[in-house]
Amino acid sequence: MGDSSKSIDRLLHDLRERAKELNCLYEVQELLGNPATTIDEICQGIIEVIPPGWQYPDVCQAEIVHDGKAFRSPGFEKSPWVQSADIVVQDERVGRISVYYTEERPRSDEGPFLKEERKLINTIAEQLGFYILHEQLKQVFQEQLQSEGIRKSEWIVILDLLKRTDPDLLMRITRKMINYLGWSGIKEVEGLLERSSFAARPGGTLEENRPYQGLPGSGLLEITDEVFAVASKHLSREAILENIQKWSREERVRFLVDVLVNPNSSLSEISSAIERYHLLAGQGIELTGSRDRWFRVALIRRILSDQPHFIRVAKDYVGIDDFGDFMHRVIFPVGSHGKLGGKSAGLYLAAQILRQSNSGRELLQKVKTPKTWYMTSDSVFHFMSYNDLEDHIEQKYRDLAQVRQDYPYIIHVFRNSPLPPEMVKGLSLALDDFGDVPLIIRSSSLLEDQTGAAFAGKYKSLFIANKGTKDERLAALMDAITEVFASMFGPDPIEYRVEHGLIDSHEEMGILIQEVVGTRVGPYYLPAFAGLAFSNNEFRWSSRIRREDGLVRLVPGLGTRAVDRLSDDYPVLVALGQPSLRVNVTPDEILRYSPKKVDVINLETRSFETVDLRSMLRTLGERYPLSHQLVSLLEGDHLRRPRSWVVDFEKSDIVVTFDGLFSRTPFLRQLQTIMSVLQEALGYPVDIEFAHDGTDFYLLQCRSQSQGEDSSPPIIPRNLAAEEVVFTANRYVFNGHAADVSHIVYVDPQKYAGLESQQELLGVGRAIGRLNQALPRRRFILMGPGRWGSRGDIRLGVSVTYSDINNTALLIEIARKHKDYMPEPSFGTHFFQDLVEASIRYLPLYPDQPGVVFNESFLTSQANLLGDLLPDLPHLADVIRVIDVPGATGGRLLQVLMNGETQEAVAFLSDPATDIERAKTGGGPV
Amino acid sequence: MKDRPFDFLEITQRQFGRIADQLGLEPAVRDLLRQPLREYHFSIPVRMSDGEVLIFRGTRIQHNDARGPTKGGIRFHPMQTVDNIRALAMLMTWKCAVVDLPLGGSMGGVACDPHDLSVLEQERLCRGWVRQIARDVGPEWDVPGPDLMTNTQHMLWMLDEYETIHGARRPGFITGKPVGLGGSLGRNEATGYGVMIAVREALKDLGMDPAATMASVQGFGNVAQHAIELYERMGGKVVCVSCWDQEDRTTYAYRKSEGIDLADLRSITNHFGEIDRREAESKGYERLPGGAWIEQDVDILVPAALENQISGENVAKISRRVKIIAEGANGPTTPEADASLSERGILVIPDLLANAGGFICSYFEQVQGNMNYYWPLEEVLGKVDVHVTDAYLAVSKVARTGKMDLRDAAYVIAVSRVAEACHERGWV
Repeated sequence: MGDSSKSIDRLLHDLRERAKELNCLYEVQELLGNPATTIDEICQGIIEVIPPGWQYPDVCQAEIVHDGKAFRSPGFEKSPWVQSADIVVQDERVGRISVYYTEERPRSDEGPFLKEERKLINTIAEQLGFYILHEQLKQVFQEQLQSEGIRKSEWIVILDLLKRTDPDLLMRITRKMINYLGWSGIKEVEGLLERSSFAARPGGTLEENRPYQGLPGSGLLEITDEVFAVASKHLSREAILENIQKWSREERVRFLVDVLVNPNSSLSEISSAIERYHLLAGQGIELTGSRDRWFRVALIRRILSDQPHFIRVAKDYVGIDDFGDFMHRVIFPVGSHGKLGGKSAGLYLAAQILRQSNSGRELLQKVKTPKTWYMTSDSVFHFMSYNDLEDHIEQKYRDLAQVRQDYPYIIHVFRNSPLPPEMVKGLSLALDDFGDVPLIIRSSSLLEDQTGAAFAGKYKSLFIANKGTKDERLAALMDAITEVFASMFGPDPIEYRVEHGLIDSHEEMGILIQEVVGTRVGPYYLPAFAGLAFSNNEFRWSSRIRREDGLVRLVPGLGTRAVDRLSDDYPVLVALGQPSLRVNVTPDEILRYSPKKVDVINLETRSFETVDLRSMLRTLGERYPLSHQLVSLLEGDHLRRPRSWVVDFEKSDIVVTFDGLFSRTPFLRQLQTIMSVLQEALGYPVDIEFAHDGTDFYLLQCRSQSQGEDSSPPIIPRNLAAEEVVFTANRYVFNGHAADVSHIVYVDPQKYAGLESQQELLGVGRAIGRLNQALPRRRFILMGPGRWGSRGDIRLGVSVTYSDINNTALLIEIARKHKDYMPEPSFGTHFFQDLVEASIRYLPLYPDQPGVVFNESFLTSQANLLGDLLPDLPHLADVIRVIDVPGATGGRLLQVLMNGETQEAVAFLSDPATDIERAKTGGGPV
Repeated sequence: MKDRPFDFLEITQRQFGRIADQLGLEPAVRDLLRQPLREYHFSIPVRMSDGEVLIFRGTRIQHNDARGPTKGGIRFHPMQTVDNIRALAMLMTWKCAVVDLPLGGSMGGVACDPHDLSVLEQERLCRGWVRQIARDVGPEWDVPGPDLMTNTQHMLWMLDEYETIHGARRPGFITGKPVGLGGSLGRNEATGYGVMIAVREALKDLGMDPAATMASVQGFGNVAQHAIELYERMGGKVVCVSCWDQEDRTTYAYRKSEGIDLADLRSITNHFGEIDRREAESKGYERLPGGAWIEQDVDILVPAALENQISGENVAKISRRVKIIAEGANGPTTPEADASLSERGILVIPDLLANAGGFICSYFEQVQGNMNYYWPLEEVLGKVDVHVTDAYLAVSKVARTGKMDLRDAAYVIAVSRVAEACHERGWV
């Protein structure tokens, strides 16, 4: 009881003290804020308001000493119980405030004084300091305005000062003045220009091979005087002063010029220059527009990318200061000249573009990028030379079989070689910064950055759980990095480089270490969903979907399942511009093509895993982020969004449809805005990778869509002879090609329609299924009437399932006028997603349309191989024609090129294609 | 281009002609039944999401309503032909009559591909269809239901539009609704159960004890699973089932000579009736090529997957032990195979009868909707049993007395019942 009343008393006492202190501070503020008062009046006023603010006002006195004057409380006496604070202006002590107790009082935090009183006196001293500084500046300013006389000689004073302290700067300013005068058309400086050059090069000869000797001590001063004498004749004093001031301000960032001009300056020099700039920027740097642009471009070129298109765009979005923001997260070897590599640069630029965009601000504001550390592109060589592994570089010139054989060994060697110590140190810092969130280690190479090179997925990306002790985590991280390094020497990328003429190009590989976007769900770590979005849709399933409507591939969990083509599962596909036109319409289709598995990081086993989605949702559905937006419930054959927030994940029949996400959240609108902003700023169609942790949208990658293997539009040859062309098409053409086709399977539309019985019609489907097994995989094309795989009326198209056609390179639907109606192509809807995942191309033909070639006689007059392949089906020989293209054409093959940009497709006969490769890789936007 | 010789309507009409010959129907009756009573062809303007208006062609064909309100599906199909719908409407008339439902047959649809339509556009199309035909359909006149590419959601939109136009709640207007919104319990079970109810009656005819029989089933979807469920309760033993395997893109048959464990197999089967190959093997099932289901040494074969599965090619592989083939699927037996089976004296329970359970349940949905009173599951299934049993007995009796197979007998009963009703009403 007694205790508590005591503590309440104590509390009240404290509160009263705080109130007094606050009151004191207010009064000081009021004094300082009154424009009419003088500094003396203010000091006097402060002396009066201090005592009531302290704990023992009765015995409290104050003193301010400033500018040689002392202000004191009435009856002031010094005593041993004192508390003081200096008044500081521009790092210089200009006075002092002291508070005295005239009698002894109980001991507290600082003698008898409270710690709050220390804060108070410091604050008062600080405020007074600011006030004094402000007053001084005001005075200087006014004096300057008033006394023209002083200004007259001001530039001379500055020059004098420079002569004594900084002749280098003086020299540079002098040369700038010469240039300035020269540009202004003043003839007198011409002689000076020469002399100043001679002055800079003793001996007076301009021998280029002779090293630069530095500035001479004398001679310069005379030139300076002459130059400025000329200047003073032609320029006003104000103009001279202004120029000198401007140039000397520019000279403050001279260090950046030095570093950026010198091609030998290393990344660490650039980095410290940026840091210095960053510090100076705080004090205010004025750069002219051209100089700012120069710096930005130079930094972009050195650090991000030297691709001209990249620089052109990036210079508008990346400021000098921005480099300061991420340079401390770049790990590089000593003396590095590396860059961040394509992936890192692309992502960084995209994030900058989104941040600065004005359209869709509220949608773009929430777009984030995961925390990222970078290793520069030359790290890989540094690592190799540190471990004497340079010999492996010649690997790319070896026989592919050898490369394939050596690769496991290279991985083994790399993983067992240590990283250089400074990189280990950098990684250790990175791990401290990341904490123990799972990480993904991605390659970011220079070739990935190059036009048209579809390096997608050729190099490794590795997930690490990043759990355990710091040492364990560091070891796992280093293992992953060296393994990604090793993938530079893997058979796939080398084969790709050989095929695309890139094998002699210099390749370097940087590394991105990225926080994996996600949350913990039970033992797993995963994002709510992730995916890919493309500006151009190359897989349209309806004639109403335009190419520019784009495409999204969306999966629950890690995006790996959206990036890879899956053989056993399907991502959800959406055309961004037409989100309600879905690939799958009936509940059965939706169910069949819904994602069944999910990629996760298992934090307990510390490994990357693929788990069954349904069983995971059954146990962890409630904890899965956004689960209510991702799933629909199947009740009988009725598929619906969860009605309430309560979903019985254990008992309900759950299908992942993303229905809620599409219809109840602005997600698709957000994605659409992102895509259009990026495409507009970058000037080309893009593809991006993204993930969503349930709260925020994260951009993970951004690159030109033409870099995707699927998308590069082939060039349609113009000079084909009529007899070479088998067919052309000009509607609903998607980018793609089928090269070196050796067999054509042609189901004659009229003969098919003429079949007598259902049995015969079904027989055609079965025969196609057998041909699918008998013909060389992806080297034959299927051409047939109407809708392949049609359900319902079999006459509308050959009745096949996906397994009957899964080896074809191209599926062609021939839409011929039939009595009064023209069948609409199906776009392969019956197995659309299977076609997408298997990269089987689709093309509708309209032989009756004007301007279209359809060489029917070629298709019907060649020898029919059906009898040899399926001897038991002689009765179908009229309907199904199998053409051996080289056999029929003297060794030539069929090439089908489809260009979605120009809406043109052509199938023509040619020698085995060398020019196809060229057509395939060329023509993409930068 | 010559006219299409293979014509669904023509086949259906020819089949009717054959039965009419057997029954000796008068020309006027034939003429009436060969063609639909009424056809509606109308245009449905739909405003698309891009602002454009597209005109869709809708159809409703009511073949014959002498025995009661017509009933039949609505299909969305891009290449829908009127003749096809005419044929389907006629078949619906026979289907209802075989199992003695007080209903006639109809069919309808819209020429469209839902893959080209957004959800909103599909809703507008459904409502547009109802607006054009609302006065000529209804619980007492013509009852639509789902068919190709139409589903529960479409039915609910159509019902809502119909009720809005008529200012009344009439859940009996349409079938295929979800339970809780006018749907009936028992829909999942009815078809599969119906198959085995018919088999049970056939076994009685043959004087066989179900508990002493074995069966092999093609397919493991909804129909097959429920058929097996009831068959096991009858004491029978299923030794083989076949199903599609999506991963391998082929069909497999799974065999266990001591009999499959239904519950166990269901636990490793997905929504599409696809059994997990690895799990099945680990559970001791022998995996055979898909076609093996038909070669099993069993008493009963149940094709419950696709059409045209028993054909001239494989009919010879059917074991001598087989006594009954119950057509759980639609049209699983080709005419060629049918003739051969008939020769061998194998009793084929035709699809018209064997898989009528689902259709009967759909009739019950309408009945319950009209009463606005819904039965518990047992009641629905009990009534299905009564209907299928009665229908089987009637067909079997006609087959015996008329010395024809069950398929012909079913048609004979159906056509004569409809002809009778037309006659009684004084139409012909």
